[in-house]
Amino acid sequence: MGKGDSKPEGTLADTASGARDAGAGSPAASPRRASAWAQYRALLAKDLRIEARTREMVVSMGVYAVLVLTVYGATLSQTGDALDVLNVASGLLWAMVVFTSLLGLNRSFSHERADGCMEGVLLAPVSRSAMFFAKATSNFLFMLVVEVIAVPLFFLFFLAGAQVGPSAWLIVPPLLLGTVGMAGIGTFMATITMDTRGKDVLLAILLIPVIFPLLYACVSSTSIALLDVVGQMGTYLRSLALAGGYDVIMLAAAWGLYEFVVGS
Amino acid sequence: MANESANEREAGGGRRWSSGRWTTVAIVAVVLGCALTTLDFLWAFLRAPMVSGANLSDGQAAIINGTVVSTRLLFSQKIFYFHVPVAIVSFCFIIAAAVYAVMFLARRRESYDLRSRLCMLVGLVFIVATMISGDLWTRHDWGVWWVWEPRLTTYFILMLLVIAYFILRAAVEDPETQARFAAVFAIVAAIDAPISFFITRLVPSSIHPVVIRTDSGLPPDMLVPFLAGIFGMALVGFGFFRLRLTLEEQAMEVESLKRSYEELLD
Repeated sequence: MGKGDSKPEGTLADTASGARDAGAGSPAASPRRASAWAQYRALLAKDLRIEARTREMVVSMGVYAVLVLTVYGATLSQTGDALDVLNVASGLLWAMVVFTSLLGLNRSFSHERADGCMEGVLLAPVSRSAMFFAKATSNFLFMLVVEVIAVPLFFLFFLAGAQVGPSAWLIVPPLLLGTVGMAGIGTFMATITMDTRGKDVLLAILLIPVIFPLLYACVSSTSIALLDVVGQMGTYLRSLALAGGYDVIMLAAAWGLYEFVVGS
Repeated sequence: MANESANEREAGGGRRWSSGRWTTVAIVAVVLGCALTTLDFLWAFLRAPMVSGANLSDGQAAIINGTVVSTRLLFSQKIFYFHVPVAIVSFCFIIAAAVYAVMFLARRRESYDLRSRLCMLVGLVFIVATMISGDLWTRHDWGVWWVWEPRLTTYFILMLLVIAYFILRAAVEDPETQARFAAVFAIVAAIDAPISFFITRLVPSSIHPVVIRTDSGLPPDMLVPFLAGIFGMALVGFGFFRLRLTLEEQAMEVESLKRSYEELLD
């Protein structure tokens, strides 16, 4: 299918039919109103279908991640042997993740806004929690896909000759926790900035201070995983617990406040 | 519509009476607060004893950026009587802003949004005062202008959040949406205030000592100016908040009077 036929009518119709299918599919739900879980699945399926047709989010985020790596290439080109990249690797990795996520989060609401999709979804009797978690899940999945591509590239470009510790695979838990938090808080903040002036800059201004504690914990645990986890397991786990705890607090706050953000 | 504006006028009349009384209260608060703060300063410099450097948890001198944080008698410690009260008052105002934000979201009254915004504004003034005084102290005692220490970091984030709050307000045109978004963000921002306050308890490696505790053991000569500073600055902050609130309410009243006057002309 071509790009032309998918949008703009596609989004609304897809949502409506998706919700109807899902509602009819589950016997527990009343015929009039789909359960929150069915709504969640329908909204998530809508986002994934848009992405499958346009491939806009993953491509733009992926290209941006590669560009950030290119900038790193230039900035690190004059350091020679003086700098052990391993010491700053986790920071560089997370800077890439943060900036790439910011770009993706800004984009994630462009369809909702341009095609009047948000109004359509709001008109339907959809629970606000289902809306929030569906959008957060789709953003999480897109960020994850980009990380699966960009993190190995990062290792290839910058850590190929470095003495990466055997525990390097332990960067996966902090990456997951960080991405969950950034997708959740980011979706919440992007909903706020969607209708504001200068929304791209505003999202960064709102999001970066809020995710700072999470970022700090993730950089700390990633750093330990990359260097060597032996003897540092306690700090590693404490950082992970901090990241997880912050995720829980912030997701709960975002979930509770979401209905005030989308309006009534 | 006419009924509504009549109600507004009536409410405005009630406000005028109470705003006069509140103005008196606010001015008394500012004067009393200034007196207490002055007492704090005079006591701190004239009576409070000199103390040794930051009370490190293990009793050892620490090395920060090549400078030994020793246990010398520190004249710079006098800034404690200004820096800590102003920081505590800033936390109080951020929390108050979040409480008003919750009340706004629950009841949707414009007056709560106004109070939340003004609490943030007064909070920002105190945060900037804390940052400046803290930075001077950092430079003198630790030998660096800035260090990414947990308390400093979380407090810096708090300042960024409060600034972001005002940028967010400026970026939204519709007053109702602006109030709604601002209230939501104030609540999210306030999550950082307790983190920043308790971080010295959670992360023992923090260079900041735990000040507020029941077994603080501050001798009376230090405790009196410290408490005078807290209450004095809280009163000054409250007075500023109240004066600004009266001003804003009067501005709103003028607007509503203008509107009803135009209606009369039509």
